[in-house]
Amino acid sequence: MEEKDRKKHHKKHSGPKADKKRKRHLNDLGLGDDEDARKRNPKAFAVQSAVRMARTFHRTQDLKTKKHHIPVVDRSPLEPPPVVVVVVGPPKVGKSTLIKCLIRNFTRQKLIEIRGPVTIVSGKRRRLTIIECGCDINTMIDLAKVADLVLMLIDASFGFEMETFEFLNICQVHGFPKIMGVLTHLDTFKNNKQLKKTKKRLKHRFWTEVYPGAKLFYLSGMVHGEYQKQEIHNLGRFISVMKFRPLTWQTSHPYVLADRMEDLTNPEDVRVNPKCDRKVSLYGYLRGAYLKNKSQIHMPGVGDFAVSDVSFLPDPCELPEQQKKRSLNERDKLIYAPLSGVGGVVYDKDAVYIDLGGSHEEVRPNHELVQSLISTHSTIDVKMASSKVSLFMDSKPLGSEDVENQEFMMPKEEKQIDLKTGRVRRKAVFEEENDDGASDEEEGQDEEMSEDEMDGSEGGDGDNDVEGENDKEVPGQELGLRSAKRLKREETTEETAVELPAFADSDDDLEMRSGEEGETDLDESKEEAEDQGDEESDEKESSDSDSESSMVPTTDSGNCTAEEASESEAEGSSEEEEGSNDDSEVEESNKKGIQSAPEKNVDGVEWAVSKAVEDGDGDDDDDVENLLKEEEEYGEDNDFSVDTAGALKWKEDLTQKAAEAFLRQQQSAPNLRKLVYGTGKNPMLAEDADEEDDADEELGGLFHVSRPDKESKQKANALDCSKFPVETPQDWDLDEVMNSIQDCFVTGKWEADKDAAKLLEEDEELYGDFEDLETGVVHKGKPAAEGDEDKEGKEPKAGEEEEEKKKRMDKKRKLKEMFDAEYDEGDATYFDDLKGEMQKQAQLNRAEFEDQDDESRVQYEGFRPGMYVRIEIENIPCEFVLNFDPHYPIILGGLGNSEGNVGYVQLRLKKHRWYKKILKTRDPIIFSLGWRRFQTIPMYYIEDHNGRHRLLKYSPQHMHCGATFWGPITPQGTGFLAIQSVSGTTPDFRIAATGVVLDLDKSITVVKKLKLTGFPFKIYKNTSFIKGMFNSPLEVAKFEGAAIRTVSGIRGQIKKALRKPEGAFRATFEDKLLMSDIVFMRTWYPVSIPAFYNPVTSLLKPVGEKDTWTGMKTTGQLRHERGIRLKQNKDSLYKPIVREKKHFNKLHIPKALQKALPFKNKPKNHEKKAKPTKDQWRPAVIREPHEKKISALLTALGTVHSYKIKKAKLNHRQHLKDYLKRKHKEEEEKFKRQKEAKKKLFRIMGQKEKKKQKSSLKGSGEREK
Amino acid sequence: MASQPHALSYVGCNFLRQRLVLSTLSGRPVKIRKIRAKEESPGLRDFEASFIRLIDKVTNGSRIEINQTGTTLYYQPGLLYGGVLEHDCSPHRSIGYYLESLLCLAPFMKHPLRIVLRGVTNDQVDPSVDVLKATALPLLKKFGIDGEGFELKITRRGMPPKGGGEVIFACPVRKVLRPIQFTDPGKIKRIRGTAYSVRVSPQIANRIVDSARSILNKFIPDIYIYTDHMKGTSSGKSPGFGLSLVAETTNGTFLGAELASNPQGQGTAVLPEELGLNCAKLLLEEIYRGGCVDSTNQSLVLLLMTLGQQDVSKVLLGPLSPYTIEFLRHLRSFFQIMFKIETKPSREEPQGGEKVLMTCVGIGFSNLSKTIK
Repeated sequence: MEEKDRKKHHKKHSGPKADKKRKRHLNDLGLGDDEDARKRNPKAFAVQSAVRMARTFHRTQDLKTKKHHIPVVDRSPLEPPPVVVVVVGPPKVGKSTLIKCLIRNFTRQKLIEIRGPVTIVSGKRRRLTIIECGCDINTMIDLAKVADLVLMLIDASFGFEMETFEFLNICQVHGFPKIMGVLTHLDTFKNNKQLKKTKKRLKHRFWTEVYPGAKLFYLSGMVHGEYQKQEIHNLGRFISVMKFRPLTWQTSHPYVLADRMEDLTNPEDVRVNPKCDRKVSLYGYLRGAYLKNKSQIHMPGVGDFAVSDVSFLPDPCELPEQQKKRSLNERDKLIYAPLSGVGGVVYDKDAVYIDLGGSHEEVRPNHELVQSLISTHSTIDVKMASSKVSLFMDSKPLGSEDVENQEFMMPKEEKQIDLKTGRVRRKAVFEEENDDGASDEEEGQDEEMSEDEMDGSEGGDGDNDVEGENDKEVPGQELGLRSAKRLKREETTEETAVELPAFADSDDDLEMRSGEEGETDLDESKEEAEDQGDEESDEKESSDSDSESSMVPTTDSGNCTAEEASESEAEGSSEEEEGSNDDSEVEESNKKGIQSAPEKNVDGVEWAVSKAVEDGDGDDDDDVENLLKEEEEYGEDNDFSVDTAGALKWKEDLTQKAAEAFLRQQQSAPNLRKLVYGTGKNPMLAEDADEEDDADEELGGLFHVSRPDKESKQKANALDCSKFPVETPQDWDLDEVMNSIQDCFVTGKWEADKDAAKLLEEDEELYGDFEDLETGVVHKGKPAAEGDEDKEGKEPKAGEEEEEKKKRMDKKRKLKEMFDAEYDEGDATYFDDLKGEMQKQAQLNRAEFEDQDDESRVQYEGFRPGMYVRIEIENIPCEFVLNFDPHYPIILGGLGNSEGNVGYVQLRLKKHRWYKKILKTRDPIIFSLGWRRFQTIPMYYIEDHNGRHRLLKYSPQHMHCGATFWGPITPQGTGFLAIQSVSGTTPDFRIAATGVVLDLDKSITVVKKLKLTGFPFKIYKNTSFIKGMFNSPLEVAKFEGAAIRTVSGIRGQIKKALRKPEGAFRATFEDKLLMSDIVFMRTWYPVSIPAFYNPVTSLLKPVGEKDTWTGMKTTGQLRHERGIRLKQNKDSLYKPIVREKKHFNKLHIPKALQKALPFKNKPKNHEKKAKPTKDQWRPAVIREPHEKKISALLTALGTVHSYKIKKAKLNHRQHLKDYLKRKHKEEEEKFKRQKEAKKKLFRIMGQKEKKKQKSSLKGSGEREK
Repeated sequence: MASQPHALSYVGCNFLRQRLVLSTLSGRPVKIRKIRAKEESPGLRDFEASFIRLIDKVTNGSRIEINQTGTTLYYQPGLLYGGVLEHDCSPHRSIGYYLESLLCLAPFMKHPLRIVLRGVTNDQVDPSVDVLKATALPLLKKFGIDGEGFELKITRRGMPPKGGGEVIFACPVRKVLRPIQFTDPGKIKRIRGTAYSVRVSPQIANRIVDSARSILNKFIPDIYIYTDHMKGTSSGKSPGFGLSLVAETTNGTFLGAELASNPQGQGTAVLPEELGLNCAKLLLEEIYRGGCVDSTNQSLVLLLMTLGQQDVSKVLLGPLSPYTIEFLRHLRSFFQIMFKIETKPSREEPQGGEKVLMTCVGIGFSNLSKTIK
């Protein structure tokens, strides 16, 4: 046995060893170590034929250009999202086993049950999200749309199954992802030969489906219920080095394959109405394109929704830090699969949770911290809001954690010190973040707080008063709150640093600090609590964020500008004056001193807190002093406006001088941004503000107590003009003013690198001497400053040398550029140029926002692919949560502009050749188009030669046809597929049709033929009166001039309506009609398409029944179910056609004509012969037997005689033939003989003649003799 | 049901064009309330109604609902259709008012647009067709909207109050736009202009030209101002005259300025010399503001950048006009797009006022109306 297993020796065909061997072999032949063959044997490579050379050249060029694709800008993110690997195959083929083995291969972890996607780190630069795809066609369709790589499992012992082909066809329609086949169950083959054969057969079939040469992997057998380690390892290698082609749909739409779902609905709402719509947050890696907040998305199987909020979270399955090593550290081999309960750490918007596993739940640990932690966990899972309330109940502040926190934060804090202002309150960042977490829980208090603030603001500048008031009112919950925060903070120790910026807010800074001091000053904590309330309200409105340097004044300044802007523009968008952030030059704007009264409320609170802080701690005194100083400044600034104009008068000026104001404001960049966009981070808030004025006042009422209504309205109805009038024209007669734009003209001064004179100078230096041939002038380059050098001595020499060096380098660079330009661009093709352009654009795209932090990047670009995002969605049907099954993929597909709308979609459609039936117009069918699966009612049509769309009752058998349906607008060029039903399984192929979207419209052009018939009731020459086609003269009037035709083909035209029979008309024809003729007119009647669009909501079905969705039934199905037989129209039944024999009358020629005819043509009068007379009539002869005998004998004799004669004749003929033959032979012989004789004779005669001649020649002589 | 996206709601008639145009392009319905609700004559004006009618003409399947007083407008956009159209604009506003919006929409139609607009060609409020022709069209060309069927022809001139002018605008359709990097305006190499006069003495145009040149000649010698005196039927129904100037730079930036005489029977008569001088000064102001796009076309360039592919586009602008600022806000609410706005401090050498560098990533817009075969 062992011997059998041993591998046979294989010779190496490649690699260094093989090379060496080959070389040796060549050496042996005497060819070795020589240069290449071209040199060795130049004749073999010489040009033999110019024509053939041209041909080969053409061919190579053809092949080259064939390979070209239209270059596209490479928009792939720098840190790409995990590759989606979909494992697909029929049941019991080994999908789960393969996934488990792969996970084990990459992470050394064993997963018992796999639910939903599993994300793993597979290499230094690659992560994988592996997901299993069941046999439900819904799942197959959804996953084919998001797959990057498909592992297609095939049971080799069985061969291909329908699911495999269905999936392949789905892939083909929705952009073809990479597909790798995997053959399993190979160990069932006992016979090696059969195994080989099967492999080959399957491989070739697979190739025809995918592409020739597609990779098909063999998993030869199982060891202890797992695939062989080495094979899995190889498969893993294949996967992790695979390259992917960008797919159009995927790169143009953002999408998320959700790996976690949480229900955020208010538990009270659920209690009141268990079927209320839910609010849900979904987590996953963003893929494809940039996702914008508030955009439309589609969840296949659920429906369309608007994203209510998006935020990005730290990556739960990060790629390892850049490292030199080739392989990954054990530590970096992460796995993240929350739906399967793997991953340990779970990130949330504001906290991090650690999964402690099931074992901990039973034995409740005594430690309070852990206990509360567990409770937190459970709450998040179930109901967020409620959990948080419960959190406060039994926890207390922990001093030790505070200390920890402080230590942890120190480095961070130091970074954030602003040198100018010296406001070092960044510590708060952490606290703030925690507050934030807590804030949600405190909803109940919220309103109270806001009321407090209102009071404060009304009280004017009286900080202390406000403080006092608040003190009294603050509920005693801070303790609980605080402890909860602490808890969370502890959990987040590591992550906080990353998350922090998201919630940094100025108020919090202060508050945070005080918290950190951990000092138990009761007043302080109360204030804090109150502050938190404050912040909560802020944050609800604007989820702000931001970098280290955002400080109290930042907020303020942001506010003022925002306020100002909004007022001046009369856009009601200034709801979130508060939530601001922003880095950098805020101070400037403050100094400008545009302060608004409404802001005061905020300021007031802040100041109060800061003062309290001052009391509390000594360390931060300086800071606080700074703060206070600033506040005073504010105060002064404000005084003016407040004093003079009361609450809101300061705004009057602004509206009138809007142009001036913003010109001034442009001085500092962030101000401009704020001016335009306000301070809210949340882009939609502005619009929300617009949406409802009333709601406006209720919601954000506390922040804009009173807006000058009159002014804003006036502005809202102002003149709509794009011109930008000059408010304060400058005096263009003044020289200074004129000089200010002098350089905008070509006549002005140019920049150094563009100035012609300078360039010329440089060139001169570069090229030195030259002679102008035309004029004969000799230009000399500058002598290299020899004289100067001598004079000046050595001191300046060093500097000069450097300069020289620089100059030389410049010169070199320039020369090189010129050289490059000359030689590189010479043979650049159009394609190269285009590619270069795209590359440049890609570089620009990458570089533009590279240096910015994610928070601000997200605003400009949207969330970029590769980020781990949390998406909140509201108004999701409760069934989605109640019937949640992690085995089914949840996909959030982003929709482009107006892709959420519906309209008429025109398609080019072809029935799938494997589908057994043809499709019927008006039968509901399920389409998979874009992200969506939906049922709709298509109409099939075909385009006539003149562009008319003619309705078809059925789709053609083997041809393309058009189809139109009412449904979601999807960009042209998108592929689709159609299936009759998504429920259950049939042995047949399920994909009914495939095709592509051609056009989108809001109206349809499909028509069907309608023939109107009528009958003539009066016929003149070419004019006839026709009735029965119309019912009224009005109808006739509409069709005047229309072409009509008879069945026999006589063409005509409708002229005018007749008065008498209603609806009759006069018509003219090209020939006279018969009364029996039927007249008809061809018209085209536009069909209407039912506006039926029914998304397949398969994910809302109960668990286990998700593949049983049924929508509208076809009439055929209904009839079949209810046993209703179709009533046939009697007229449309086929009957046997009976054709009666046609009887023609005799031709009658009039007598006159007969007379005139020539005799030849005259009808001959064959008079009928009379009956034969008796004498003519002869009776039959009946013979006697004797006579019969005689006659029989006679006939026999006659026969014999005739036979004899015949024989004799034959004989004679034979004889004659022979005779002739003989004769012929004799003749020939005779001829031969004669010829011979003649020959002889002629020879003799010739000789005689010769002799005679000779003799005559001689003879004369002789004679003469 | 593919839920119809939530309608955006606004108050007041200001920026009506922006809202309707963006709504059409983004496919989001829009609702505008309280249109002149508190005024003597509430509701939409003639010219606005005419604009809405124009939008209805170029689209297919849009739904427009206006309440009885005309103070509330609901607009649910259809698909842009285009084709050969005619439209009679209201003489209260000039054709420029309508044309500005058509410039935004025309590249995204189903069929190439060819529209005849009738009304007032030049007035004192809106950018005139001359200036749009000289500045907006080259701008569109930068985005790849080009070709034979791209023209703006003034066949008749009409001055307020009665109008009678006629303009033919034709634009080809595009599926996608090119991103632009337009950050260097270059230097002004020539100034061109048109001094027009209708139903007044033809000498007036010459007088305008002379006075305008007197100022501009100090800066650059390459100035040519055409005099355009229309007669007969092509001169409209009211008398008037005016001047439009355009400065062209080496990098293909066009900065425009214009002035028109007071309409007949309104205000005092304007001297042609004075008008020429003032217009030249306006052009200098525009040059002072500078940027790669002049102040009237700022919103157009920003829109086309937004509608580009998912690539970075950049443009350098002069100070943002209030209209542009509002437009940026609207862009954010309709397309969820924010521009990166950086101010470029003016350099030491005199090149006019401060500039603003606008950067954005396009939303990957593609023309959903265009048919593929």
